[in-house]
Amino acid sequence: MPTGERETIGTHLKESGVSRRSFLQLCSKIIIAAPIGLSLTRRATAAQVARIVGKARRPSVIWLHFQDCTGCTETLLRTSAPDVAHLILDVISLDYHETLMAASGAQAEAALRSAIEENAGKYVLVVEGSIPTRDDGVYMELGSRPAIQVVKEVAGQAAAVIAIGSCASWGGVPSADPNPTGAVGVDSVISGKPIINLPGCPPNPYNLLAVVLEYATMGRLPELDEFHRPRFAYDRVIHENCPRRAHFDAGRFAAAFGDEGHRKGWCLYKLGCKGPVTHAACATRHFNELPGVWPIGTGVPCVGCTEKGVVWQMSTVETVPIHLATPPDTYPPIYSTAGQLKVGAGALVGAIAGAVGGAAWVASQRFQSSTEAGVVRVAADIAHAEKLKAKPASKAVAHSDDRKED
Amino acid sequence: MSTGTTSSAAMDHARTSNRWERNVPVYGFPVVNGFFLGLAVLVLVALALSLYRELAGLGPVSGMNDAYGWGIWKTFNLMVLTALGSGAFAVGIAAWVFRSKRMHSLMRMALLTSFLAYACGLLLLGIDAGRPWNFYWIVFPWRWNMHSPLAEVAICMSIYAMIPLAVENIPPILERLWYFDSRLRPGVESIEKRLHYFFPWIIAAAYLLPGMHQSSLGALMLLAGERVHPLWQTPWLPVLYLGAATFMSFGCVAGTTMLCCLVWKRAMDMEVLDEAARITSWLIFGWLGLRLLDILFRGAAGTALHFDRFAGVFWLEVLLVSIGGWLLYRASRSSSPQPMFIGYILSSAGGMIYRFSPTTLAFRPNPEALYFPATIEVLVSLGFISLGIVGFLIAVKRLAILPAPLSEWHDMASYFRFRRPYIRWTGYFKYGHFGENETETETSGSD
Amino acid sequence: MAITRRQLFTGIAKAGVPAAVAVTVGTDALLAGEPIPVPSAAVGLLYDASICIGCKACVAACAEANDTPPDTRGDELHQAPNDLNDLTRNVIKLYKPEDGSAFSFVKRQCMHCLDPACAAGCPFQALHKDPESGVVSWTAEKCIGCRYCTITCPYHIPRFQWMGFNPRVTKCELCSHRLEKGLKPGCTSVCPTGAVIFGPRSVLLLDAKQRIKNNPGRYYQNRVYGEIDNGGTQALYLSKVPFEKLGLPELGPESVPARTLRWQRRFYQYFALPALLYAGLVQVIRKSLKGHEQEAHEREKETGLRAQL
Repeated sequence: MPTGERETIGTHLKESGVSRRSFLQLCSKIIIAAPIGLSLTRRATAAQVARIVGKARRPSVIWLHFQDCTGCTETLLRTSAPDVAHLILDVISLDYHETLMAASGAQAEAALRSAIEENAGKYVLVVEGSIPTRDDGVYMELGSRPAIQVVKEVAGQAAAVIAIGSCASWGGVPSADPNPTGAVGVDSVISGKPIINLPGCPPNPYNLLAVVLEYATMGRLPELDEFHRPRFAYDRVIHENCPRRAHFDAGRFAAAFGDEGHRKGWCLYKLGCKGPVTHAACATRHFNELPGVWPIGTGVPCVGCTEKGVVWQMSTVETVPIHLATPPDTYPPIYSTAGQLKVGAGALVGAIAGAVGGAAWVASQRFQSSTEAGVVRVAADIAHAEKLKAKPASKAVAHSDDRKED
Repeated sequence: MSTGTTSSAAMDHARTSNRWERNVPVYGFPVVNGFFLGLAVLVLVALALSLYRELAGLGPVSGMNDAYGWGIWKTFNLMVLTALGSGAFAVGIAAWVFRSKRMHSLMRMALLTSFLAYACGLLLLGIDAGRPWNFYWIVFPWRWNMHSPLAEVAICMSIYAMIPLAVENIPPILERLWYFDSRLRPGVESIEKRLHYFFPWIIAAAYLLPGMHQSSLGALMLLAGERVHPLWQTPWLPVLYLGAATFMSFGCVAGTTMLCCLVWKRAMDMEVLDEAARITSWLIFGWLGLRLLDILFRGAAGTALHFDRFAGVFWLEVLLVSIGGWLLYRASRSSSPQPMFIGYILSSAGGMIYRFSPTTLAFRPNPEALYFPATIEVLVSLGFISLGIVGFLIAVKRLAILPAPLSEWHDMASYFRFRRPYIRWTGYFKYGHFGENETETETSGSD
Repeated sequence: MAITRRQLFTGIAKAGVPAAVAVTVGTDALLAGEPIPVPSAAVGLLYDASICIGCKACVAACAEANDTPPDTRGDELHQAPNDLNDLTRNVIKLYKPEDGSAFSFVKRQCMHCLDPACAAGCPFQALHKDPESGVVSWTAEKCIGCRYCTITCPYHIPRFQWMGFNPRVTKCELCSHRLEKGLKPGCTSVCPTGAVIFGPRSVLLLDAKQRIKNNPGRYYQNRVYGEIDNGGTQALYLSKVPFEKLGLPELGPESVPARTLRWQRRFYQYFALPALLYAGLVQVIRKSLKGHEQEAHEREKETGLRAQL
């Protein structure tokens, strides 16, 4: 691997004959990989990202393997477009990588030593695979030295440690019960250095690239959650962004592999999908640069490969409880509102009540005087009648029919 | 006797001759005046809006919602106004069961107001029901759900309004026919005889049926359980509703009579009114006692002291009813019409609020829901009340309903004779008016 | 021949009161304490609020099973009813306390009470409880739209259709049209977690009690709501949070009709008391009428004016 004076990424790419177009495509893929949460990608266009990345010095990366399957390396290389793999390797300066480098044996050890010395304090250590701790760590030795010792030594001079894959993040497959080797993640062994976990089995390569470039361009590491995972990739569960969520919401579930629902692409929850409890970004960033290339996309329920308590702890067919810590408020409350007081109606009722009350009041006031009036009128009538009685041929009897006079 | 000013002896004589001995139609006042036309407009508006309700459904015309399924059409026009219209029941029992001679003077007023209140209430019930075409089930007794208080109310009220109440309101109409056309007299008299034969059964039904359905109106809200505030919800609700109906209806009958005397310048018989006020005040005190004791014994007295709208309504009711009752008691002692009238107004208002509360003001189905009538709803309700008043105005001016002293009858007769001479010399038509041809059979043949 | 008040009352008391009391007190129409009969083939739902995830699949399935258009009146787009209504027979609500303590979803639909208050109040038996399956269903041909059921139901379930000239009353009827074909109700067919299940009431009760036994302390008061509440219901509930918080009122072991209409029912039993009262009234009024008519005729002679009876 070429070492020495660090040239800028832009210069190196130009010298390597990488087209600007390919570089811009890479930058747009980085934006997609990390749309929020990274200051590097908080730009409007790929060109802006490219400008910043182009100016940065190629960061030195030392890659160590421990109890791994090399899947995380493979994910970096297994892309559908080989240029991109090379592109990634041109952007970062991979100074030590056991799988990819040509040297082996004593040459390899020498290469590691020189890589550490030349970039002391500046290189990013990427750890792949878990570290055995039982019996003084004899279960994995690198050049006759236990893994624990190696990783402490190399991390001691690193600027930052990235634990790629579930194994390096929290122990992964080797740590599954009964965990005979005492496999643990890097952050159980290393302290005092910034550690970023990128769990996944395998993880998405763009997550690694985005973290490394953020460090290289901005000089800082992305915002991490309580498990040291970058928030831009691990803050949501699969379930939140799952393309099959609509089926879940509508109650359409595949009940068995190959049944009608499965063929129609319905939700895989009942088949044991761990999407609701798995923090990862796979639902939106698929693998191999091909849309739909991810487990659920191919009809396989998510096994929760990023989560320590899920994968290899729970049965793959076991359904998970889906209780969010704080359910959204889009549910109807226990008591819903009904009815409203309209101004017009209120005014009308008030007016009627006022009118009736007023009329009653006025009427009541007239009673005192009217009683007397009534009495007076009757008295006057009686007087008048008696007067009429006194007269002989009274006008009151104008008709021929007989009628008793009052 | 002096012919000029009224002497004090005449005044004393007038006072005693205020005795209401006869029912006399209101004469000298035209039926169609400004007030009548205004009411008629309200009635037409209500009828038009009712048609709209039939086509559009209940939602667009009212403030009723899922939480408050019953609006003012049921809870006010039916529950409250038929309580005011229980005069036939309350005054009738006083007159016929307890043999109060004086209450007989108010009987026709009571019957008329009752009939109009029930008729308008039941018409509005027909409009309020969401699927009124299924009302025909009422004719099949095996379809009735005898456990349901609402079935009891609907069936009982319909039978009551259509049979006893209607039949009891026929005599004034027959009377008018008797006076109006002497050719009809034999027919009228035979109908009257037959009616009088059935009267005991009809009048008894006219007391049993309202007793049943006015109390069942109270039982309606029993099924709502705790959703009615404890100051109102009680197993005694049917009895309290019935009691409220009694004093409210006295208020309506006596108060309306007093108002009519005021408006149409009639004399008031304070003996009758005093007795009515006394009866009403005792009914009120009894009712209040029952209400307050019930609250105390149920342990709900504490809620009356909270600072919320329920306690407010409760105290308003109690104050109105008790002050009204006290005013009535005092007025009955001192024969003064003004406190009497105010007493009737206040106690009826309190009673109205009481009957209205368990269904609306004190009904809490849901802490977040509220009910307020919509404008159309209020207009329809008002229109049907106006319909009743319109009917009242027509009836009171065309039939002998309003009680008056004997002299009033003779005045009326002379009024008609001088103002409205009728064709009688043809010998063919024998149209008359009230007060005429009283004793034609006794006379030696007039043309 | 005036009867004095004293004679009136004594007459009534001597004849009527003993008979009336005997009839009233001696009746045994749904008196307190009598257990309400459970229908022979009673089916129901068991809803465990602690496993409900609020996915609302049951809301969608219910509308589909009953051929009801989705209720999109909220935002013109989503089927998101805010409560039961004329298009929604089944709704999921959320109880989420302000202080952040345990929240819970709740599925609200008809409880199919053993002694339903809605059927007790319905004037023409439009709401009727099937004597075998116990499903309370609504018949359009008998309903007059009085909305009394919306007031009597203690769970506030039946909903009236406020728009249109042919309103109906909507509530869950346990998909009886599906039960006939041997299918399960729509809601229970789609529940992903098995929070709501269908079955005979007795079996569901046993299941619920077994769950309580297997998980002591998980469920509120270690009891099933609906076993005896409101006299017993056919929709049973298990919950972590108090039932009242979910809108299920604590009604006690007596059903609403039995508790509130006891005296009404006794009073009108066999129509004995009213008939007795009527007979008494007729006698009294007959005497009254005779006296009144006599007086009226005397006055007629005095004044020469026709009597106004």
